[in-house]
Amino acid sequence: MSTSDPAFLEKMEQQSREQQQRFIGHIASRLGRGGASESRKPEHPYRGAPDFWNGYELTHEERIERFMGNWRAAGGHTERVAGWEELSGVVTRILQEHGAQSTIRQDLPELAGLRLEQHLPELAHRVWNGQDPDASLAAAAYTDAGIALVDDAVAYTGSLVVTSSAEKGRSVSLLPNLLIAIVPAERMKTRLGEVMGRLSRSAGEGLPAGVHFISGPSRSSDIENDLTIGVHGPGIAYALIVG
Amino acid sequence: MKVSLFITCISDALFPPIGEAMARLLARYGVRLNFPQVQTCCGQPAFNSGYWDEARVSARTILEAFDDSDFVIAPSGSCTGMIHHYYPKLFEHEPQLQEKALALKEKTYEFTQFLVQVLGVTDVGAVFPHRVTYHPSCHGSRLLGIKDEPMQLMASVQGMELIPLPYAEDCCGFGGTFAIKMSDISGAMVEEKTQHVLETEAEVLVGLDMGCLLNIGGNLHYQGKPVRVMHLAELLYEGVKHREQTAGV
Amino acid sequence: MSKPQGSSVKERAETALKDEFLVNAVKFTTEKLKNGKKAATAEHGNWEEWRERGRQIRAHTIAHLDYYLNEFVNNAREQGVHVHFAPEAKDAARIAVEIAKHKQAKSVVKSKSMVSEEVHINEAFEDIGIESIESDLGEYIIQLANEPPSHIIIPAIHKNRYQIAELLSKEAGETLAPDTKILAGFARRKLRDKFLEADIGLTGANFGIAESGSIVIFENEGNARMVSTVPKTQITLMGMERLIPTWDDLEVMATLLPRSATGQKLTVYMSGITGPRRTADGDGPEEMHIIIVDNGRSLQLGDPDFQELLNCIRCGACLNACPVYRHIGGHSYPGTYSGPIGAVLTPALNKNTEEWQDIANASSLCGACYEACPVKIPLHDMLVYLRNRKVERGYTAAGEKLAMKGFKMLMKSSGRFKQAVKLGQTGQKLLVRDGYIRSQFGPLKGWTAYRHIPALPSRSFRERWPQLDAEVGASLPPMPEAMKSRMESIVAGRKERGMKR
Repeated sequence: MSTSDPAFLEKMEQQSREQQQRFIGHIASRLGRGGASESRKPEHPYRGAPDFWNGYELTHEERIERFMGNWRAAGGHTERVAGWEELSGVVTRILQEHGAQSTIRQDLPELAGLRLEQHLPELAHRVWNGQDPDASLAAAAYTDAGIALVDDAVAYTGSLVVTSSAEKGRSVSLLPNLLIAIVPAERMKTRLGEVMGRLSRSAGEGLPAGVHFISGPSRSSDIENDLTIGVHGPGIAYALIVG
Repeated sequence: MKVSLFITCISDALFPPIGEAMARLLARYGVRLNFPQVQTCCGQPAFNSGYWDEARVSARTILEAFDDSDFVIAPSGSCTGMIHHYYPKLFEHEPQLQEKALALKEKTYEFTQFLVQVLGVTDVGAVFPHRVTYHPSCHGSRLLGIKDEPMQLMASVQGMELIPLPYAEDCCGFGGTFAIKMSDISGAMVEEKTQHVLETEAEVLVGLDMGCLLNIGGNLHYQGKPVRVMHLAELLYEGVKHREQTAGV
Repeated sequence: MSKPQGSSVKERAETALKDEFLVNAVKFTTEKLKNGKKAATAEHGNWEEWRERGRQIRAHTIAHLDYYLNEFVNNAREQGVHVHFAPEAKDAARIAVEIAKHKQAKSVVKSKSMVSEEVHINEAFEDIGIESIESDLGEYIIQLANEPPSHIIIPAIHKNRYQIAELLSKEAGETLAPDTKILAGFARRKLRDKFLEADIGLTGANFGIAESGSIVIFENEGNARMVSTVPKTQITLMGMERLIPTWDDLEVMATLLPRSATGQKLTVYMSGITGPRRTADGDGPEEMHIIIVDNGRSLQLGDPDFQELLNCIRCGACLNACPVYRHIGGHSYPGTYSGPIGAVLTPALNKNTEEWQDIANASSLCGACYEACPVKIPLHDMLVYLRNRKVERGYTAAGEKLAMKGFKMLMKSSGRFKQAVKLGQTGQKLLVRDGYIRSQFGPLKGWTAYRHIPALPSRSFRERWPQLDAEVGASLPPMPEAMKSRMESIVAGRKERGMKR
């Protein structure tokens, strides 16, 4: 059963609100505020990174180079592709190289523009469909390759940022073992803070439910500290930088 | 200028030559040490075990001893660290004594700190033709930040080969009563430390804290290893004497 | 090798120390992690400034925790999250079980969460017949072994691949080779099915962001993403102190946490989850619950000696730096958390003084934990404060109490101290051979089991002083002017500062 009985949730919600007063009131009294919790937003003089860091900025080319170095160091593959026209061929080649039988991609015009159905008609291609969630999820779980357009990339940490929406299922960048992430070069930032700043500014208006920073293929060192790639998430991760 | 010696209980009872080396070395710069007899122990053994009343009784003798000193020097980063780091806390409920503790903190220096920071001496003119390795004790290096001072002093010693100690920053396992209460853990730690000391094939192990050196030296002796264990003050003073003798001064 | 047994840290440590595999495994991995951190922080640079900023953000949040919790809760509710409050561990388990029962859940799949270990959530689910499966590889391994984690970051640090192969083979029903790739491959396949079947995904939270009501999870495997993507219901357990005010502050935490934990610039995945899936989203939970757990945390608030304990971001760096942890491993510590943070956190969260055992004694107070801590928690000081509280509440060993009474008598006056040393000089004669005491006697036997003690010299320093002083005074050169003026200016500077005070 997926949705809860509203009456059950209602009851829990009521209990929660009663408990909240006691719980946070107790904290306030431990902090010496006599049980009435602080209601004015406190001055936060230490917000975010130290000042010297906020001025740190790489040039466009440095950003791309730094990102690629970091992504490779994390065990990922990365290539720079001159333009969207060339991209289609590169994606096709990668899919062939890894013997992928099936793909799933976000429902975005940029990715439709790759025309994979045309270039690789023998593969099963699927487009994420938020309207048909169970089928999309089930498909993603047994698909070889996921193709995602990233919202941002961060050079300094070698990270991609993908967000969720009806068109952009979280599963696309997670369930298939081969991830092909498309990074428009102009979306490459220097610091994490640049992305955080944007998220912070949109905090009031509502964020995507999922914001995922991805910094390489899935890995684990839980067995004798021996690095294994591809434990639950994609074991092969491509970042293709366009432009 | 009243420069007083806080000898520390361990050097007082077990290692008198360290105080002697300090007094004679500093005398060469015109510093005549003063030694207030009322001092006993900084109180650390009791403090670290949680017995703060007992620690305060002992610490009061230190507050009293150095009340009118301009500088206080000790051959121990740990005991100096006790004064710097914990005395204000130990006396937090006794404002008058806390005031004294804060004043004492300001004027108390570990031996190498005093030489380098106060006197501005980094070369005492020692010659010490031996292979030496150095163990930086935790309290000195972590609580007081004594890192460069001993290095500068040792770098100026002629004829001495300073061999880096592997895993130098690892604790030797002393920890005062820890060595007795958790003897097997402490024993494993000191054995690891002596193993690293032996790997250097040094003839001499030098340090700034006799607690740690008592521990490491005790284990070396237990193992029958003929590594000589010295406080840096002893090494420097012996090196100065060596130079004077060989130069025929 | 099995979990070290014994009723005290000392007893368990004694068993652990004899376990050569354990000691080597822990040494090997902590060393690797420590070096990784060293390299990563050096490469990043300005580490002290980052640490200080991390400390400031955490201290600020904790000082205003009431405000930020309300802000977090209100924002999370606005996003459609059901928020619950658990004053104690058992409340958290009860709420989670209530939700699972209502959902008629058959299975729960879990990602790594230390607070869930505190709450014993797996047992709570199992009690009502719900399968609860750990999906982090290390957690999965120790769940199969029926053991608690022995490290915050690497839960199965104490197991080798032969032992792991044995555990997983039993689960697979076939013999798996002790090869990391094969073992991890089996876990991937096995757990993939579990993710798809599970009714509920249960996660922890590294941080909660007050300004948006989001939770943030750091991980490398992707299992936490699976847990928060596939099942229809998500339950997140979060310690009440996990908050940071803003996303901007997350940059600082993201800089400190992975570098301190594993030496990575960032973990492979860092996920910010804000509420359940939006109506049109095809994945992510349809229903999301966050259970905010106190379980002793609030006891630290307003306690000047321990409030900073809540700044902890659970990176495990203090474990890797600790020479005691390295020798005895995590299972020698009682409670969920091990190493220096565990030695302080376990007694602090429980406050049941008599049950602290000897946990706070298992430290040489070397301060390596403080030096390693990315938010500068003075754990070495807190250990001393714990020992002090134990003494003040009267939980002391009779022998120690007596010894400390003796210490006080001895150190109260220099005359007594001098006399005692004198007595020692004479009294030791029977024990000394070639300048050393070797016999394993009385209260010092812990010491002499590993070390010889040099004999007391015939005259102490204070006895030698008058003669030494006279000799020094007889040939004292004048002090160089430069030195004199250095000393004078230091004293003058001190006086000036003193007047300002």
